[in-house]
Amino acid sequence: MQKYDVAIFGAGIVGAFIFDTLTLKGLKCVLIDKGEDVCLGASKANSGIIHAGYDCARDTLKAKFNVLGNKMYPEIAKRLGEPIGECGSLVVGDKDSLLILTELLNRGMYNGVKNLEILDRSGLEKLEKNLNKNIAYGLYAKDAKIISPYHFTIALVEESLLNGGEIKLNYNVNSIQRQNDGYLISDGKENFMANYIVNACAEGVNEIGSLVGEPAIPLTYTKGEYVLLDKDEFGLACRPIFPTPTKNSKGILACPTVNGNTFFGPTAEDIKEYETSVTLSGINKIKTSILKMIDNVNFKRIIKLYAGVRVKTGDDFYINFNENKNYFVIAGICSPGLSAAPAIAEYVANSLIEKGLQVKAIKFTPRRPYTNILKLSNQELSNLIKKDKNYGDIVCNCEKVTKGEILEVLNRTPFKLTTDGIKRRLRVTMGRCQGSFCYPRLIKIMADYYNCDEKEICFRGKESLIVCDIKEGGIYAE
Amino acid sequence: MQNNYDIVVIGGGSAGLASAIKASKYGLKVAIIERDNKLGGILNQCIHNGFGLSYFKQELTGPEYANKFIQMLDGTNIDVYLNTTVLEIKKHFEILTISPKGLEKIVCKGIVLATGCRERPSGAINLCGSRPAGIISAGSAQKIVNLQGKMIGKDIVIVGSGDIGLIMARRLRFEGANVIGVYEIMPYPSGLKRNIVQCLDDYNIPLHLSKTVVEVVGKDRVKGVFVAPVKNDFSFDLDKREFIKCDTIVLSIGLTPSNELANQLGLKQNPLTNGCVVDEYLQTSTSGIFSCGNGLHVHDIVDNVTRESERAGENCAKYVLGQLNTTTPHSVYFGDGLRYVNPSVFYEGDEILTINFRSSKIYKNADIIVKSKDKEIRKINKKIILPAEMESVIISKKDIVGDLIVTIKEHKDE
Ligand SMILES: Cc1cc2nc3c(=O)[nH]c(=O)nc-3n(C[C@H](O)[C@H](O)[C@H](O)COP(=O)(O)OP(=O)(O)OC[C@H]3O[C@@H](n4cnc5c(N)ncnc54)[C@H](O)[C@@H]3O)c2cc1C
Ligand SMILES: Cc1cc2nc3c(=O)[nH]c(=O)nc-3n(C[C@H](O)[C@H](O)[C@H](O)COP(=O)(O)OP(=O)(O)OC[C@H]3O[C@@H](n4cnc5c(N)ncnc54)[C@H](O)[C@@H]3O)c2cc1C
Repeated sequence: MQKYDVAIFGAGIVGAFIFDTLTLKGLKCVLIDKGEDVCLGASKANSGIIHAGYDCARDTLKAKFNVLGNKMYPEIAKRLGEPIGECGSLVVGDKDSLLILTELLNRGMYNGVKNLEILDRSGLEKLEKNLNKNIAYGLYAKDAKIISPYHFTIALVEESLLNGGEIKLNYNVNSIQRQNDGYLISDGKENFMANYIVNACAEGVNEIGSLVGEPAIPLTYTKGEYVLLDKDEFGLACRPIFPTPTKNSKGILACPTVNGNTFFGPTAEDIKEYETSVTLSGINKIKTSILKMIDNVNFKRIIKLYAGVRVKTGDDFYINFNENKNYFVIAGICSPGLSAAPAIAEYVANSLIEKGLQVKAIKFTPRRPYTNILKLSNQELSNLIKKDKNYGDIVCNCEKVTKGEILEVLNRTPFKLTTDGIKRRLRVTMGRCQGSFCYPRLIKIMADYYNCDEKEICFRGKESLIVCDIKEGGIYAE
Repeated sequence: MQNNYDIVVIGGGSAGLASAIKASKYGLKVAIIERDNKLGGILNQCIHNGFGLSYFKQELTGPEYANKFIQMLDGTNIDVYLNTTVLEIKKHFEILTISPKGLEKIVCKGIVLATGCRERPSGAINLCGSRPAGIISAGSAQKIVNLQGKMIGKDIVIVGSGDIGLIMARRLRFEGANVIGVYEIMPYPSGLKRNIVQCLDDYNIPLHLSKTVVEVVGKDRVKGVFVAPVKNDFSFDLDKREFIKCDTIVLSIGLTPSNELANQLGLKQNPLTNGCVVDEYLQTSTSGIFSCGNGLHVHDIVDNVTRESERAGENCAKYVLGQLNTTTPHSVYFGDGLRYVNPSVFYEGDEILTINFRSSKIYKNADIIVKSKDKEIRKINKKIILPAEMESVIISKKDIVGDLIVTIKEHKDE
């Protein structure tokens, strides 16, 4: 039976960082998720900001790991070939906001954040062109950055897979048994062994915890809704711009993405069950808040609505290593979980190594970023098309994605992708027409590649069928 | 093929074809660049009939209509580039294209932009709820059913009453789907009257006006929608919302010109059409670049696209030959009752001037009035004017003494 040093449950940004960190230290790891792809939870729908760390309460795990993680990101981004926007961030407020901003600055300094500065209106105007006239002051955190959170997660997993890591998707674990020589893990179909278990399942944390015999961790959910604007609106905010924070949330911000869009959000709505629908009231809240902060906004340019859920347990992250059980649980990783993830992973790795896991040097295979024809010079692109004409065949007109790029990603991903999976990797169907031109062709290309019928291509999971045969009269024909 | 032309037409749909054919009649060297693997544009997926009634005086399907023009190419020396996308246009007309053959630079003296339109996405109408499989734009649905031979679902709700949605309602019914209804937020349909009659009424598909989808339900695949009446201030009457079980939502919520290249070039845009600002020759704010068809403003009848685009091709040829008269410009404004007007500028002369526009609401028994310096030049009485149908007035420039203003005035007494 296959045996691993560590089995990591949950392929969000936290699980992916742990997987990658441990794999690169020469440990034999497997990443397990119940979904059909990696990054299907909060890590795919958040603000994508690597916070500086001024917002976290003093002496918390949040503060510690956020500040550490922030420093780690640029180098990791470089290694993975992932874009990172070192744009800084702003918290802005009216003439009465100076006190709150100063408190944030002080908290930031206490947390170890460098490069914080309070700006007045004229200082702000040098950075941003569309601030509402009521905005008088701002806290400028130069160390904040932006990334594509889902792309980053995907890249981390790819890097580990290239360096000896293994992955199991669609794996619904139903038993975890402690035996003399480690844990026996099973979904009733496929069994394997692991010495250590790392549980990074966010909303599913108790599903794994209960199988290991741990008491349930109480979870609460706060939904965050977003609106995404057409690329034409890029520049509305040149960096994340937050309002002055309230007790519950950092507020609804205006923010650029590394791909050249602008978004507004998130709301902070407490919900009973984990679900990601978007509501009319949420959208209206976003519109009202943004107009107080930003001018020249054109809501007609919204191309997409979406939402993510923050999973919390108490006020801080909950990170616990049960050394008797060889069981690590990382729970309640709400914001700033993305920022903190690399530092959490380093902490998990160090704890396991202290406990006795052996670090081994590996022959590092770097991850090659996906080809992006827009990043090539004309000469490079010409040469590429000469080698493979598919790189001259544009499928997605809005984002200019070629058939060559699509085939490349299908080819290098070791599991069957959905249209949503391809979208997150390449931006195909993610532009201003949201796939109304290229979606049919994308389905065809994927079906041809997987040598299956178009009706077997899914949007997300197995139940999310897209097309069916004509004569059957419908996908759900009785 | 060479890479030096007098005129390059970007887009090989009905607009591109008509303008290229007209331009080549002036003895100029013309090329059409089309990103698809065949000419014809959106017409290729419009396998229904109703095309060509005015231009050819016969009822054709979309592909048949396109073919008439594709055949006309035979008698010309127009070069056609297929599978070729224009990536960029540099000032003074160097065009960078990409195709499976590689990158290519093409130099020319005049350009006709005939890039067509695209569909607005769900975000544009703030479609709330979940985001499962089974939400599809009408154009995608049309492509999947008509060109790829697949079906998109069984119990179908159509959001928006655009023409493609209406045509698809009928098409999906033909293929055995249960088309539950068409929901339109406005108090009037946005598609053509004839499509309401021939696609909905004839098949007992209900059209619900002032009613829209306020929430999508379903995790993996659509399970249903909540619809609610729309109040006069466009807020939703959520107390009266009702659930409708369905597995598919087809969006037919409007088209907007594909203006990426125009924007890249910094051509002046008209926020009311989302296309370029043009003069009477269909020339944009950069001399030598012309715009026509759905890439200029969204048309409902292809015959009008053809006529407009013939003018663009002709004028682009005249520009290249130095024959375009652009002295003494005047503006065209619009007043009450219009949503927009094209062109924005015309020049003194003695030819005729075609003015296109759309009304801002339904008018019954109303006058279209064209005035120049308070002098009424033209008054046309219409039994009905619909926002869904583009109107045009043709006037003789000889009668004009200055700027023009177009208005619609309803006969109050009736
Ligand atoms: C609206 C919003 C905005 C945010 N903005 C920011 C920000 O700007 N900056 C920042 O630093 N942080 C931000 N965060 C926080 C950040 O997104 C999260 O902290 C982070 O994504 C959590 O990652 P994760 O890996 O713990 O969880 P997830 O990404 O949710 O991953 C959990 C994974 O576990 C899997 N899983 C669940 N149950 C099981 C099971 N039984 N078996 C196997 N697999 C299972 C799921 O399928 C999923 O893939 C934001 C969060 C939200 C919701
Ligand atoms: C779905 C639908 C149904 C209709 N039904 C009817 C009807 O029943 N009767 C009727 O009379 N009219 C109908 N019309 C109206 C009419 O057919 C269209 O308005 C007309 O065909 C549009 O022509 P076009 O050339 O402007 O645009 P398109 O046909 O869209 O052509 C534009 C072309 O430009 C190409 N292109 C765009 N950008 C680039 C680039 N960068 N590089 C290279 N190529 C590019 C595109 O691939 C496309 O082929 C319908 C329209 C639609 C959309």
